[in-house]
Amino acid sequence: MKLHYYPGCTLKEKTTALDLSTREAMKRLDIELVEPADWTCCGAEYPLTEEKIVGLAAPIRVLRQVHQEGGDVVVTTCSFCYAVLKRANKAMQDDPLKHKRINAYLRDDIKIDPLTKERTTGFEDYNGEVKVLHLLEYLRDAVGYPKVKSRLKRDLKGLSIAPYYGCRLLRPHEEMGVDEPDEPRIFEEFLGAIGCTAVDYPFKQECCGSYLSVSLPAAATEASYRILRSARMNGARAVAVTCPLCFYNMDHRQDAIKEAFLDFPGLPVLFFSQVLAWALGVDKEVLGLAEHTVPVDDLFIENRAAEERT
Amino acid sequence: MTAKKTDKKDKKDKRIGLFVCHCGVNIAGVVDVEKVAETMKDYPGVSFSANYVYMCSDPGQQMIIDTIKEKHLDGIIVAACSPTLHEKTFQEAARLAGLNPYQIEIANIREQDSWVHTDKAKATKKAVKIVKSHVAKALQNESLEPVKVDVNRRALIIGGGVSGLQAALDIADHGYEVILVEKNPSIGGKMIQLSETFPTLDCSQCILTPKMVEVSRHPRIKLLTYHEVDSVSGFVGNFKVKIRKKPRYVDETLCNLCGECEKVCPQVVSDEFNMGLAFRKAIYMPFPQAIPGTYTLDAEHCLGLTPVRCGKCKDVCDKKAIDYDMKETIIEEEVGAVVVATGYDLYTMQAIGEYGGEKYEDVINGLEFERILSASGPTGGVIRRPSDGQVPKSIVFVQCTGSRDTEKHNPYCSKICCMYTAKHAMMYRHRVPDGQATVFYIDVRTGGKAFDEFYQRTIEEDRVLYIRGKVSKIFKEGDKLIVWGVDTLTGKKVEVEADMVVLAMAMVKADGVMDLLKKLKIATDIHGFLAEAHPKLRPVESLNAGFYLAGCAHGPKDIPEAVAQASAAAAKVGDLFAQKELSHDPTIVPVNDELCSGCGICISMCPYSARSLDLERGVAVVNEILCEGCGACAAACPCGAAQQRNQTDSQIYSMLTAMLGE
Amino acid sequence: MTMFEPQIMCFLCKWCTSAAADAAGTSRMHYAPNNVNLRVMCSSRIDPQHILYAFKEGADGVFIGGCHPGDCHYVEGNYKTLRRVTLFKKILQDLGIDPKRLRLEWISAAEGKKYAETMDEFASQIQALGPLQLKEKALAREVVKDE
Repeated sequence: MKLHYYPGCTLKEKTTALDLSTREAMKRLDIELVEPADWTCCGAEYPLTEEKIVGLAAPIRVLRQVHQEGGDVVVTTCSFCYAVLKRANKAMQDDPLKHKRINAYLRDDIKIDPLTKERTTGFEDYNGEVKVLHLLEYLRDAVGYPKVKSRLKRDLKGLSIAPYYGCRLLRPHEEMGVDEPDEPRIFEEFLGAIGCTAVDYPFKQECCGSYLSVSLPAAATEASYRILRSARMNGARAVAVTCPLCFYNMDHRQDAIKEAFLDFPGLPVLFFSQVLAWALGVDKEVLGLAEHTVPVDDLFIENRAAEERT
Repeated sequence: MTAKKTDKKDKKDKRIGLFVCHCGVNIAGVVDVEKVAETMKDYPGVSFSANYVYMCSDPGQQMIIDTIKEKHLDGIIVAACSPTLHEKTFQEAARLAGLNPYQIEIANIREQDSWVHTDKAKATKKAVKIVKSHVAKALQNESLEPVKVDVNRRALIIGGGVSGLQAALDIADHGYEVILVEKNPSIGGKMIQLSETFPTLDCSQCILTPKMVEVSRHPRIKLLTYHEVDSVSGFVGNFKVKIRKKPRYVDETLCNLCGECEKVCPQVVSDEFNMGLAFRKAIYMPFPQAIPGTYTLDAEHCLGLTPVRCGKCKDVCDKKAIDYDMKETIIEEEVGAVVVATGYDLYTMQAIGEYGGEKYEDVINGLEFERILSASGPTGGVIRRPSDGQVPKSIVFVQCTGSRDTEKHNPYCSKICCMYTAKHAMMYRHRVPDGQATVFYIDVRTGGKAFDEFYQRTIEEDRVLYIRGKVSKIFKEGDKLIVWGVDTLTGKKVEVEADMVVLAMAMVKADGVMDLLKKLKIATDIHGFLAEAHPKLRPVESLNAGFYLAGCAHGPKDIPEAVAQASAAAAKVGDLFAQKELSHDPTIVPVNDELCSGCGICISMCPYSARSLDLERGVAVVNEILCEGCGACAAACPCGAAQQRNQTDSQIYSMLTAMLGE
Repeated sequence: MTMFEPQIMCFLCKWCTSAAADAAGTSRMHYAPNNVNLRVMCSSRIDPQHILYAFKEGADGVFIGGCHPGDCHYVEGNYKTLRRVTLFKKILQDLGIDPKRLRLEWISAAEGKKYAETMDEFASQIQALGPLQLKEKALAREVVKDE
C-alpha cells in the first residue's frame, strides 16, 4: 500500500540515514512511502509562534498537498517536523482566526509546474482533514506490533537500547497526544516489539540542547553528555533517537562531549528506523551507517547474540 | 406563646388598626402624618386610624394595646421606622393585648421615605402607598405559632481522631450522652501516628493517649470502634442513625493481649499504621496503646474464614476470645446532633510522577517520616532509609507538593506542612548531626503561637538549608537520589544529591469520605472538605441544621486549631441541647396537597433539603423545622401549591395593586 | 413643561438590598421618590408573574435587589433569581415590553450609596423610555405639575 510520507529537509541533506532506513524498513512491511509533490520545509518551529501566523502557511501547504493527492494520513519520522505539522494541523482545526487567515493566504497560491510551466490556482480551503502521525504511532496503531513481529528476520535479543524521546514528541500533551508525557511507553513498546530490550533511565525526556549547539555549544554539550551518561549507567548499548537534531547533538558532537567530559568513553547513537530496518532484515549497506560519527558497526553484525556469547 | 389565637377571618370582616408615627420631626418633618392617617381612615379594611408623636414610647405602645382591646382589632399596622428596629417592640405590645404577633405589620415610612425624599407632597403620597400595601397584606395575614419540636439530647460523633475525641469529651462533660463511631479498630486518628508535635515537640502519643483513655472510660460515652455509619435520617434534634458493626472476630471483652495469636498467624500483611514500612499479621493490634485494647482479625487478609482454612489463632487463644462466626450487625441509635470529624488523608505521591514517589522507596511522605522518627516505629526511632536501612547523610524536604498548584493538583495551602517540615528537618539534624537537611519551599508559613520562633531555630541553631524554589524532578542515579530544583533568590538551577527525600504532600479529604457525606447529605466544598454555614461567623456548623464540623474534615489545620474547633462544635451542640424544645419561625412555605401535582420542582429548589416527595401520595412534603422560608420554591411552583405563609402570591398581588393603582 | 414621572416597583431582599435602602435612609442620602418597595425574604421569592403583574398594575419599571453572588442568606437564592430574570427578559421582549424596564442589581447591606444612586439612575432611565401604559383602564396619564 502507498502511504504519504513527509521526510523534512534535513533527512534529504544531513541525515539521509533516517530517510533511507525508514524507506527500506517500510518496504519490508509492504508499505511504499510516497512524498507529497513539491513539498517544502515545514518551518522548523517558527510557524508555531503566536504573533506571525503567516509562518503556518508553510506546513499547511504540505498538508493541503497531501489532502489533494487523496491522502488522509501523513507519517513523518523527524520529531521536529512531526510537532510542527501536527500542531499546525490542530490550529487549522481549532482556531477560526488562523483557519481563515491561512486559507486566505493559500487560496491565492499559484503552482507552476517546473516542466510544463503550467499554472494551477484556486485551491480549496484546508480544514485539518489530514491526520499527522509519527512513524512510531503508525506502527503501533495502524500496522500493529503483531504484524511487525511477524516480519522480523533478525533476533535482536539482548540488545539493550535506551529510547530517547527528546522534547518534541510528547509535548505539549494536549496537542500532541501521543502518549502520557510523565510515563510514556510508546518507544519502549516499539523496541520490545522488534526484539530489543528497552532501557529505563531518568534522562529519556531531558533536552539534548537542541539549537543551543549553534549559539551556546557548551550547554548543548553538557545536556547531551548527561543523557548519554545516564543511558550508559543504566546498561544501554546504544541510544535510539527520532530527531536529526538530537542525532547531531549526541552523535556528531560526541567528540566535543568526550573532550569536555573525560569520564565519558562514548556511546553509539542510532535512529529508531535503523534498528527497525535491521530487525526486519534490511542489509547493512542501506542503513546509512556511514553518516555516524560514533562507530556502530559492531551493533549490526549477523547473529550478534551468538557472537557476544562467545 | 400565650397569645390568643385569632381564627382566620374573612378579609371583609377583618378589623385593621393603623398607627402613624411622627417620630418627632424625623417623619413628620417631611411626610404629612396627619394627612396620611386621615386619608386612610376610610380605606377598606381600616377600622381605626391615628397618628402619634412617638409610637415606640411607653404611651405609644400603651395606645396600641388599649386600642386593640377596645376596638377589637384583628391586625395592626405601625407606619414608622424600619422594622429592623422596632418590629419586636410592637409585636410584644400586640401580644400583651392578646393579638398574635404575626398580625403586626410595620410600614417603613422613615428610612425608605421621609429620610430620603425632600418633596413633601410626593413623600406623603408615597407614604400613603406604602401604608396601603401593608393594609392589603394585613387583611390576608394568618395568625401563626412558631413550630416546636423536641430535642434528643444525645450526640453522635463520627471519627475518633483528636477532634472527635475532644468533642466527645466536651459534650459528655456537659452531661449529655455521646456515641463515638470510629471505622478503624482503634481510636487515635492520624495524631497517634505522629512522633513529636510542633511547636513544643511533645510526644504525640503521650499527650493523646490520656484523652483516648478518658473517652474509653467516660460513663457517658459509648465508644464504637470498627463501626461505620450506614445512614442518617430525620432532622435536627431527631436523627435516626444506622451504624454497621464490622466483625472483629475477637471478643474485645475477653482478649487479654497475650499476643499468642499473632505469633502463630502465617499471614504477613503490610502494616498501614506504619505506612507500609513494616509488616503485621492478619490478626493484629494496630499499635500498642490501641483503644480498645484488643486484637482484631483482618478478614481480608486472613487465609479464609468460610470455611476456616487455618484456625491457628483460635487454637492458641487461652481466653477463647476468637470467634470466627461473628457477623456484621446493624445497630440503630437516636441522636439530636451529629459532629462530623472524619479527618484527612495525604495526597497520593502517584499523582506527581516527576517526584518519583511511587518509583523510589526512599522518596516518602510526611507520615512515613513520622513513623521513621517514632520510637515505636519500624526503625525504633533511628532515622534509616527504607531501601537499605542506611542512615541518610543528606535529606531533601520538599514543601507544597500537590498544594498551592492551580494547574494540576490542589490550589489551596495545606497549612501544616511548613511547620512539620521544619520539625522534621530539626529532628533529623538532632539525630544525625553530620547530616545535611535541605528544604525546598515557596513560602514559609508559620503563623501560630511560637511557630515562627520554632522555624527560626531550625535555620539558626540546626542549620537547615532553606532554598526558595520548586523541585522539577527527582530521580535515582546509582545509590543517590538527585533532586532538581531552582533557587529563585539567586536565579540559579540547583541539583542536590540526597539519600532520602521527604515530600510534604497536600492534605486532602479522607479516603472514601464522600460516600459517607452523601449519606449524611451535608454540603462540602469543591475539594471535598465540609462546608461551614458561614466562613467567618459560623465556622463549626453545617448549613444543614444539626450537623457540626470539627477538625481536618473541614479543611487543613493543625492540632491546636483542630482541638479548638472541636470544643467550639461541642459548645454549639450544647447550645442546641440547652433548649427545652426547638422553636422555628413559622413563616415557612407549606404544601397545599390539593393543588400539588407532585412534579418535584420545589424539591430541587431547596438549599436546606427541607422538601421531599411523598411517592405514595404523590405530593411534596415540607419539614417545617428545616424550611427557612426563603420562598424560592414558592416562586418555582407551577401550581401555586407552595405559598409562603404571610407572603402568599395573593398577598403580593394585593400589595402591588395597592401600591401602583390610583 | 410637563414631565412624565415614572412609577418604579422595587422588590428588595430583606437581608441585603432592603437593608441597603435603610442604610441610605439613615445616612440621609436623597433620591427621586418614584419607587415603592416590597420587601421579600429572598429575591428568589419573586416569580416572573409578580413582575408582569406589577407592569400591568401601572409600574413603568421593575427593580429587583438581591445579595451579591456567594452572599445569599439562603445560600443560592440569588443565582435562581439571576437565571429567572435572564430568561424572563427574553420573554418580556416577546411580549413587547422593553427588557430594559426590568433591572436586577446586587446591592449589599453596606451599599446604601449604591442603592440611592441606582434608584436615581433607574428612574431617569425609565423616564427616558417613557410610560408603559399597560393598565386596562383609561390610558390618559396625569402628568405631575409642580405644586
